[in-house]
Amino acid sequence: MTTLALPAPGPRLRGLVLTLLALAGWELAARALTGAFVLAAPSQVLGWLAANPGLMARALRETLTNAAAGFVLGNLAALALAALALLWPRAQALVTGVALVVFCLPLVATGPILRVIFGPGAGPQIVLAALAVYYTTLIPLLVGLRAAPASWFDLVHSYGRGRWSALVHVRARAALPYLVAGLQIAAPAAFLGAIVGEFTGAERGMGVLTIRALRGLDVPMTWALATVATAVAMLAYVALGALARRLAPDAPPLLLSPPPAPARRQGLRAAALVCAATLALWWGAIAAFDLNPFFAKSPTDVAAALLTDADAGATRAKLGVALAETAAFLLPGYLAGLAAGAGLAMALVLAPQVAGPVMSAAIALRSVPIVTTAPLIVLALGRGAAGTVTLVAVMVFFPTLVACLHGLRQTPGQVMDVMDSFAATRLTRLLRVRIPAMLPAFFAAARMAVPAAVLAVTVVEWLATGRGLGSLMALSASLSDYDLLWSAVVLTTTLSALCHAAVARIEARVLRRYAPEQLT
Amino acid sequence: MAAERTDPPAVICRAVAKTFAGGTEAVRPLDLRLEPGQTTALVGPSGCGKSTLLRMIAGLEPPTSGSIEIGGAPPAETLRRADLSVAFQDPSLLPWRSVRGNIALALSLARRPADARAIDELIALVGLEGFGDTRPAQLSGGMRQRAAIARALVTEPRLLLLDEPFGAVDELTRQQLAQDLPRLWEARGTTTVLVTHSVTEAVMLSDRILVLSPRPAAIVADIAIDLPRPRAPGDARTDAFAALTDAVHEALSQGMARAEPPLAAQ
Ligand SMILES: Nc1ncnc2c1ncn2[C@@H]1O[C@H](COP(=O)(O)OP(=O)(O)OP(=O)(O)O)[C@@H](O)[C@H]1O
Ligand SMILES: [Mg+2]
Repeated sequence: MTTLALPAPGPRLRGLVLTLLALAGWELAARALTGAFVLAAPSQVLGWLAANPGLMARALRETLTNAAAGFVLGNLAALALAALALLWPRAQALVTGVALVVFCLPLVATGPILRVIFGPGAGPQIVLAALAVYYTTLIPLLVGLRAAPASWFDLVHSYGRGRWSALVHVRARAALPYLVAGLQIAAPAAFLGAIVGEFTGAERGMGVLTIRALRGLDVPMTWALATVATAVAMLAYVALGALARRLAPDAPPLLLSPPPAPARRQGLRAAALVCAATLALWWGAIAAFDLNPFFAKSPTDVAAALLTDADAGATRAKLGVALAETAAFLLPGYLAGLAAGAGLAMALVLAPQVAGPVMSAAIALRSVPIVTTAPLIVLALGRGAAGTVTLVAVMVFFPTLVACLHGLRQTPGQVMDVMDSFAATRLTRLLRVRIPAMLPAFFAAARMAVPAAVLAVTVVEWLATGRGLGSLMALSASLSDYDLLWSAVVLTTTLSALCHAAVARIEARVLRRYAPEQLT
Repeated sequence: MAAERTDPPAVICRAVAKTFAGGTEAVRPLDLRLEPGQTTALVGPSGCGKSTLLRMIAGLEPPTSGSIEIGGAPPAETLRRADLSVAFQDPSLLPWRSVRGNIALALSLARRPADARAIDELIALVGLEGFGDTRPAQLSGGMRQRAAIARALVTEPRLLLLDEPFGAVDELTRQQLAQDLPRLWEARGTTTVLVTHSVTEAVMLSDRILVLSPRPAAIVADIAIDLPRPRAPGDARTDAFAALTDAVHEALSQGMARAEPPLAAQ
């Protein structure tokens, strides 16, 4: 996705007016709904903040510190992995594959496991923040390091210089805008990761307060926390955007362009390699950190729990039921989010007057740590299906909308000139030119939204609905049923990675037809 | 050592051929000797393999068969000593560097000392005074090509490979460059290969023109240009000049006619 350009003064003023209007609407709606325990008015939010400044500031400082540490660690890991893939190009499929599997680990389960490993303190928060960011930095970085025409490398080679000079003089600088744009998405993600880490029984921080507010049905406090989290995430996003414009004014056209899709046979081989490497890492980590076998289950333990143990059948049945419950929320939410995002983007093309403000709002809202607003959505829509499905859809909706709007803007000017010369209608242009131009961005968003949707659904199940895989993992963690917990982790991760791969496969098909240049 | 550096090399191609991985045969086995210090123009239809031949001479593309020798050594040796410069068909300036920065990059890649005066002189020579600090995105296509020419010249290479360097340059500037550049590379004694689609330009700039057939490239004519130097734009109206351009045109159309069925390897 592209770094956002600061709107010109005109739109900025309009944005201010729109924000004020939205605040007024919020206030009115809250007043109308008093007594329903759903919505706190802006005045109540401010009131709560004014009454508890110390509490809020301490929690915010704690969470920000952890998020910053995770941000640095995660991005350093991304740089190291990108360097590895660059130095050893044949390993790139392996590196990105294992990175994806790790990214698909459900935070709901890794949180408690990390808590057991680290004990009290900030360890789990920092690790979860790092886990939340490294992948979204790694992928654009890998694209950026290759985002240079062959003739630039010819130039370097024509003076007798090799790969090192190419890295210093061409690749590093060409990757910079991609890196900064990745960091921009990473900043709110790190904040989100730290909060989820705090859900797992930390002593201090925004996540701890959120849980407390939710348990106590404290509506103003819940809204105040979500508002502050949103403001911080948006600030981080905007600040990094400003930095991006200073460092690299030449923003990349499309950030989430796909990693090259291997041929089917290579794909299967790569998948097998990734599985083997993941298992090796898993065993290796248990051995290297000398983890207690009581909670650190190895692949053989999980295989036994699922296949050979006396209660293997019961375990499988439990997992099956939870999986069905989760899928019932996940799939409709995911598809609805995609459809709404792409649909609104297309509608906006037909009504260009409102596209600008909606785009600004969507870019801002994309950075909202949506999971931290889960309590609000549950408050508003109840603990049933509607709330969960809505949350998943919202989680998917914003990135899709932003990506699609960018994609729609990618339509080459000359092609539009050709359309002009045929006096084509807006609808014709949309169908013939813009939608094909939008597809790469749409699929990039759809692919990256898979782990995000899984994160959303499992967090809501854990915090609110008490059903599905999220709840199963939280429950088995608190009951120390580690065989069941690890089995659920394996199941969730495998499914996320498989869904991601399935979307990538469809994406490769579509791109081969509409944007072959992205599949080099 | 210093004297040896400035000696321009001969370029010898022995049965050089190139077939790309996809099976496209770009260059037929080709024998070629380019004399030291001479300017040779390669003329041929689009897609016939001129850039491929140039890239093989530059050592950027290995030939499928045959061998290339530059000053008695393989191209890799010339590359290693940064003794050659290529002005690529696409100017390939780095967008985040100014014109001056792009030219300076060539010096640093070639491990030559930074030389601000030389850079400014070249910027003036290619007619880009006042644009030294401009980024490529703010230049016209022709200005970018001129910046790329300046970059190719700044390292004072012994072998200069120019791939359609004036494609987007306007007629008047082109004539000016055709005046100034040969003077520069004659003074330095550079072996130059110039790919161009303009027959007039080929005659004006070179000592010898090789006319290539349609793909796969084979030499259909080898025409010596014995016009006196320095040459001026007015020379194009002389009979001798017209006879040479006619000969090149004739060879080009012969090459086209003989392309079907394909030429036997020479
Ligand atoms: N990397 C490559 N892989 C496969 N085929 C190639 C490659 N580079 C060039 N070709 C093919 O080789 C042939 C010759 O290409 P080349 O670029 O040398 O032509 P050219 O004579 O320079 O054309 P022009 O005058 O249009 O620049 C063309 O048919 C082209 O498609
Ligand atoms: Mg060419």
